[in-house]
Amino acid sequence: MPGFRWLDRIKKTKKRQTAAHKPRQSATSGRVPEWSGAGGLLSADLEQNLQRIKRTLDRCSDVVYREFAFAQMEKVRLVLIYVDGLADKSQISDQIMRALALEVPMAVPGRKISRAEALEFIKRRGLCMHQVKEADRLEDVVEAVLGGDTALLVDGHPVALINGSKQWEKRAITDPEAEPTVRGSRESFIESLRTNTAMVRRRIRSPALKIETLQLGELSRTDVALLYIEGLAEEKLVEELKRRLSRIRMDAVLESGYIEELIEDSAWSPFPTVNHTEKPDHVAAMLLEGRAAILTDGTPFALTVPNLFIEYLQASEDYYERFIFTSAVRVVRFIALLVSLMLPSIYIAVVSYHHELFPSTLLLSIAAQREAVPFPVFVEAVVMELTFEVLREAGIRLPRPIGQAVSIVGALVIGEAAVRAGFVGAATVIVVAFTGIASFVFAYSASIAFRLLRFTMMAFSAVLGLFGLISGVAVIGIHLCSLRSFGVPYLYPLAPAAIPGLKDTAVRAPWWAMLTRPRLIARDNQVRQGRRLKPEPPPAGPKGGKG
Amino acid sequence: MRRIAALILLALLVVPQAGCWSRREINELAIVLGAGVDQAAPGQVRLTVQFAKPAAFAGSGEGRSAGGGQGASWVVSAEGRTVDEAARHLSWKVPRDIYWSHCIALVFGEQMARAGVREALDFFQRDREPRETMWLMAAQGEARDFWETFSALENTSAQAIGLINRMKAGYSVQVREMAEMLAGRGIQPVIPRVVAKDEGVSPSPAKEKAGGGFKQVEIAGAAVFKGDRLVGWLDDEETAGLCWLKSKPVYGEITVAGPGGAAKKATVAIRRGKAKIKAFYDSGKGEKVRFDVQLTVEADLVEMQGDEDIARPDVLRALETELGKSVEQTAAALAARAQREFGADIFGFGQAFHRQHKKEWRALKERWDEEFARAEVKIRAEAHIREIGLLSRLTSPSER
Amino acid sequence: MREQTKIDGKQAVMLMLSMILPTAILTIPSISVRLARQDAWLSVAVAVLAGLLFARLSVSLSLRFPGRTLIEYAVEVLGRAAGKVVGVLYIWWFVHMGAVVIREFGAFLATAIMPETPMIVFNIVVAAVAAYAVWCGLEVLSRFNQLFIPLTVFLAVAFVLSIKDMRLERILPLFDTGLLPVLKGAAVPASWLGEIVVFTMIIPSLAAPGSAHRLACISVLLIGVFLILSILEALLVFGPEMTAAWFFPTFNAVRVVSIAGFLERLESVITVVWVVGGFIKVGVFYYAAVLAGAQWAGLRDYRPLVIPFGVVLVSLSILLFDNTAHMFAYLSQTWPAYALLVFEAGIPLLLLVAAMIRGKGEKGGR
Repeated sequence: MPGFRWLDRIKKTKKRQTAAHKPRQSATSGRVPEWSGAGGLLSADLEQNLQRIKRTLDRCSDVVYREFAFAQMEKVRLVLIYVDGLADKSQISDQIMRALALEVPMAVPGRKISRAEALEFIKRRGLCMHQVKEADRLEDVVEAVLGGDTALLVDGHPVALINGSKQWEKRAITDPEAEPTVRGSRESFIESLRTNTAMVRRRIRSPALKIETLQLGELSRTDVALLYIEGLAEEKLVEELKRRLSRIRMDAVLESGYIEELIEDSAWSPFPTVNHTEKPDHVAAMLLEGRAAILTDGTPFALTVPNLFIEYLQASEDYYERFIFTSAVRVVRFIALLVSLMLPSIYIAVVSYHHELFPSTLLLSIAAQREAVPFPVFVEAVVMELTFEVLREAGIRLPRPIGQAVSIVGALVIGEAAVRAGFVGAATVIVVAFTGIASFVFAYSASIAFRLLRFTMMAFSAVLGLFGLISGVAVIGIHLCSLRSFGVPYLYPLAPAAIPGLKDTAVRAPWWAMLTRPRLIARDNQVRQGRRLKPEPPPAGPKGGKG
Repeated sequence: MRRIAALILLALLVVPQAGCWSRREINELAIVLGAGVDQAAPGQVRLTVQFAKPAAFAGSGEGRSAGGGQGASWVVSAEGRTVDEAARHLSWKVPRDIYWSHCIALVFGEQMARAGVREALDFFQRDREPRETMWLMAAQGEARDFWETFSALENTSAQAIGLINRMKAGYSVQVREMAEMLAGRGIQPVIPRVVAKDEGVSPSPAKEKAGGGFKQVEIAGAAVFKGDRLVGWLDDEETAGLCWLKSKPVYGEITVAGPGGAAKKATVAIRRGKAKIKAFYDSGKGEKVRFDVQLTVEADLVEMQGDEDIARPDVLRALETELGKSVEQTAAALAARAQREFGADIFGFGQAFHRQHKKEWRALKERWDEEFARAEVKIRAEAHIREIGLLSRLTSPSER
Repeated sequence: MREQTKIDGKQAVMLMLSMILPTAILTIPSISVRLARQDAWLSVAVAVLAGLLFARLSVSLSLRFPGRTLIEYAVEVLGRAAGKVVGVLYIWWFVHMGAVVIREFGAFLATAIMPETPMIVFNIVVAAVAAYAVWCGLEVLSRFNQLFIPLTVFLAVAFVLSIKDMRLERILPLFDTGLLPVLKGAAVPASWLGEIVVFTMIIPSLAAPGSAHRLACISVLLIGVFLILSILEALLVFGPEMTAAWFFPTFNAVRVVSIAGFLERLESVITVVWVVGGFIKVGVFYYAAVLAGAQWAGLRDYRPLVIPFGVVLVSLSILLFDNTAHMFAYLSQTWPAYALLVFEAGIPLLLLVAAMIRGKGEKGGR
């Protein structure tokens, strides 16, 4: 194509550049960074092992080497290696050192333990640790130590004993900060993976709950757990998930968000295809619908897949309160959804193009307001929206006591003053404020998509009025229809329509009516609960009257 | 991929160049509330428009004087050969875009109405801004004089007359109904008549002294058209009769002789009137068309001067009979007037005839007005009184 | 080239509904009432009967060649040369239809909603949105359709709200002008309902092709019901003379609605429903055209054709008619004969007869 030859030229230069810069690529190609002395099997010689380890962990001042010996184990050097702060020091003192000190004389009274049997003895009888593993490679030992375990090197054996002694300062289990609740469990995940998996395990005590662990990140070696309920979650889903996870090669996985971006279905869509939550009961509910969850060490946010659009209209407390009330709340949320996406655009469109839509008195009232304002509605609305966004971001970053006050004061004062000064019309301020409040109805991640799209919609409606708005919404709609999350259409159960699934969308059917699980997610195992669970008053007995 | 990005970029850059064609800010609009069409010189129409002055409508009450007074509207006129040409000439005087979508009422001046309104109505139906639900009226005198009026309760007289029409205080007609009546052969149009009168006290006497006056608008009867030309006026009672015969709701009251005799009157409010029209065609001797109209009227008793006990059924029935007679008389007089004086079928009898005798209609429809004038119309009325208020009888010291 | 995706029965019915209904409600009432006056709704009933016949014809034809579209089996039935000619004719027809539909919507928007905006803007935007949907595939198009179909409930709501202004006498007497005008008035709605022939391009993508007969019938009946309701709405509110005078009487009927003094000015809501319907209708014809083109040329994927066809659609939509009056004249006079005789009934009948005579296809398709 002749007109695009300049584009091809651009392409070629880019190629040259990347070729020249190749060696500067980061270590994310999957190779382990060069550690001096790393790798290889342990030798039977303790001193050699120790030197190699010390070389690898050179200048790591938090690593502690504790050498000791026992009289009855003649000439057997023992060295404990652990990281101060990651290993439980009281366990080390009690369960390793004191245990050995006490056991050794009691076990074999009278005779000395030879070097050859030292290892077996220590491992089988000496240590009182709850978890002991063997390692014969240097990198495994180093990895274990850096993970918080304690390595015990025994002279004369090419094997190190790894004692599970992980213990570090953790945050207490508190209220979830990003998902406040009125009713229901207030526990939220914390940064420790084991505690998190335990919280989920407590809620699903079935052996069908599978927790598979893997490590991601070359330098961070983050523990990541994959949870699913066997028999409910589709095998294809779990396999696909594992496949995508295994493709991840990064320096570090510091937060579940890193994982999310690397496993999601569509990087360019404003709508997330992977959901996240801080609450264990939410994760449990997701698992029970046949979804899978990913817990990441170091962050309280768990990921759930597949993610459907409808989840943004649902909150876990919907299921705890009675269905009439929560159905009404769902409707309110839906309205808030439409408002947060479209209200400023509708306002701009009607005020700029479709004045016949207003009742006469309202039109005249708005006209009176706008006599004083110099800017077109679109400019006003965009400026006010941007101001609101700035206020919101500032509100998040400020320390809590000040944050609320500044947001409220900022919004009120600025809004009021702007109206007084004649920069914006009062109606615009009302519209923008209501839109902002409506967008808070959703979880932060969902509202981001709408915040972005809202500006696009405003631009469309400023150019082509209601027709532009409708076109924009149609484009968004088509995009949502084309999106899939791990194979499940994003808008299920709205489109493709599945009548049983609709019981949990706009309204929430009472528990005794929700007989099946979502069809497309838990394909094979759909029946959720027994029938006839609707509570009924007990039949009147022979005594008659109200039971 | 790169090509797509370039194309999208080009498209995005092009869009802002074009501008937004239909965009108009609200404060660029001159909002029309009421319009009037008069005949100026022959071949020329005069368009009079009452604009709203937005500053007077501010919600918080700033700038709004009590009752709006003189500050809320601005009346301008311009002439041209057609209505739209007159509107163009208006734009020479008006600094904003003339915006018709909120026009509440359209008034034809008497002279214009007598000359024919069909041509003027075309603009108001073809253009997409004026709405089909505008109230249509004929003014006694000039429409321009009609619009230079004010209202004490509402901000503008256009809003006032619109609300009066909406309340159906008289016989209310929307532009689309007029269009329907004009298009049909079996009915001739009737629209309400309005006048501008000096009433009440002006909120700002200074202006009144300066000669501005304080004229208000009111609805008074109806205007009868033959085709699209005005041929006569109906007064209030006749308008009520028209409403009954056309089965239209009416918010009006009539006074009849009370059950005790003509000296003591009773006033009833007629809630609904329904007419069942039976059309007959007597072919043969003279080929006459005959109509048998059964009027049923429901009313509430509002005021009674006599002291009969209305709770007694015979008294009530007497009143009903009296009411029925009165209704019959009014309706018959109106029908006679329509036949003899106007020669116009304003009730839609022709449409009823069409529905019931479609073959004969085909032959008669070309000269329906003549047939109607010749037709025999028999009206029977039956009245029912539904509500009688809180009082059964007026107490008087002559008892005990 | 075969479509990989499958749509189920419900989606198919809704797709057919959205394919035929939007412009039908907009433009048919005026045309039919001009011919049949207040019996226009009876004309539509007649047209529905004709539509059922067309549906039967198209589906029977398609079921003889399961898994293949019209373009593909035309070659089988008529031989390579004639089959290819038929294919080109249908590609042309789908493109022509798509352009006419785009034009209809552009005309409506430019006349009734935003007159200052040049029509080409509306046409381009409508075509662009439809192009996006077509690009994503049939399944996405039908899902999008499912998402927005509930909006059509507003049509029923509008009908209910206008009951206040309706008077039954306006559609009496029946058969005022006799039977012939009723039949004449049925020609245009029939040609609209005959668009069901597009179903032949969709049938191969059905999850359960055997139910195609039933689905087509249901579609035609539903469309008929909605269409009759719309015409009745306009007729009962305005009477036959006014309905024939307006270009878009259903639009005007909604403008008149006024409940309790504040529920007024509802035409914007209806406009939204129509515009979205317009996107989908254009999308379906666009899809049919592009799919037909790809199958005719033997391409593996129809996507490269989307943009070129889009450009053609938009240009054609501008060039076809000089103005709205020209368009209406064309739709009422030229269109029925052209569409019905050739594409909706003529060629399918020819193909079916030829297939039966030459023994092509599978008999058990019924």
